[in-house]
Amino acid sequence: MKKKNRFVGLMQASWWKILGAVLVLYAIIVGMLTPLKPGLTSITPLHIDAGTQETIVIEGYNTHFTDATRVWFKYDDNHAISATDITVLASNQLSVNLSVPASIPVQKKNIPLNLIIDSPDDGPSVMPSALFLRARTDSEVGGHEWNAVISDIHESQGFKFPYRNILNETIRNTFYHVPLWFSMFILLFFSVYFSILYLRNGDLDDDIIASSLIRISVLYGVLGLLTGSMWARFTWGTFWTNDVKLNMAAVAMLIYVAYLILRSSINDVDRKAKMSSGYAIFAFVALVPLVMIIPRLTASLHPGNGGNPAIGAEDMENTMRMIFYPGIIGFTLIGMWMTSQLIREERMKLNQIENDLD
Amino acid sequence: MRSIPRYMKNALVLFCLAAFSTDMAAQGSMDFMRSIGKIYVVVAVLVIIFLGFIYYLISIDKRLKKLEKQQTNE
Repeated sequence: MKKKNRFVGLMQASWWKILGAVLVLYAIIVGMLTPLKPGLTSITPLHIDAGTQETIVIEGYNTHFTDATRVWFKYDDNHAISATDITVLASNQLSVNLSVPASIPVQKKNIPLNLIIDSPDDGPSVMPSALFLRARTDSEVGGHEWNAVISDIHESQGFKFPYRNILNETIRNTFYHVPLWFSMFILLFFSVYFSILYLRNGDLDDDIIASSLIRISVLYGVLGLLTGSMWARFTWGTFWTNDVKLNMAAVAMLIYVAYLILRSSINDVDRKAKMSSGYAIFAFVALVPLVMIIPRLTASLHPGNGGNPAIGAEDMENTMRMIFYPGIIGFTLIGMWMTSQLIREERMKLNQIENDLD
Repeated sequence: MRSIPRYMKNALVLFCLAAFSTDMAAQGSMDFMRSIGKIYVVVAVLVIIFLGFIYYLISIDKRLKKLEKQQTNE
């Protein structure tokens, strides 16, 4: 038991448990209280005809429209028109007049225009392909009406999370659903370490640590599946889709549930430890391609498909990283805390068995 | 010895708990869940995690109490 002393000491120390609790609390409080950047939610009408006068109503989320708000419709960097008579109906509702030029920026029947709004408080908001310009048969291409200049854009103020359509406020789930999976991975990685340690040294205590880690990992995985299911219901529309990552994660969880079944089906303590340690190593080897590799090779609804890193610049902004990474550490430490309780329980049981034998 | 393994019971109860809460939230009112930028989806996620943790802690607590009782009896 000599070599275990540092683990025992670390387990009994309480600073990392408090740190875990503080980090999770931080992720919950800051993650929930930070506002979202303004976003544009709807626009009516969706189609305009070349050479007409249109009144367009725009609605936003978290926006602070004022009289100084400016509105443009942009085709590309060289073609844009600006709207006039901007009326603020509410802090999130605008009505603008647009005199649509008879000329068109490009030879197409339906031309998508991006909506750009700039407000002093909010900075710029963009709605890609917000409306479609229907060309007339006699429309000229490349008229000089399309030369509005988009300039003097304000900067967004304050610490805010990005606004994404469909996701809306649920972008905050990134701090709770995703760290569960990351923590599960970290805990399972440690379980492999202790499984190898058991197979090398045959110390039953290593097996206890490995199996306790896996039990908490399964809890995390199940919670990850459930929270993901909840998130999917209100963003993708159903509790479960045939997304690769979902199915592969479910398969991975079943592999680990099978580990628990394997353990409970063997009564002999040493045999149980040996078989489950070997199984745990192979289970992790299966987990990595199932959850990390296969979803990246095919199309997936999750970020990180098609070979790009899931937490790259496109999917996460720096403001979110400041909550996301502490969240991962926090959830991992809380998981280790719960694991330490299981370890204590299992050690008591093992002592009891040894006492009974004596 | 044990008719149903402990972890199976754990998993079952955990699943029922979460499925129930998810179902309630879904049936209750779609409009409610989608109001204020779907913020209640985040609340539901936090509730699921919280319930899962609490359930696990209670189950550990129960088993430890049992063990302690056995040891004091010996």
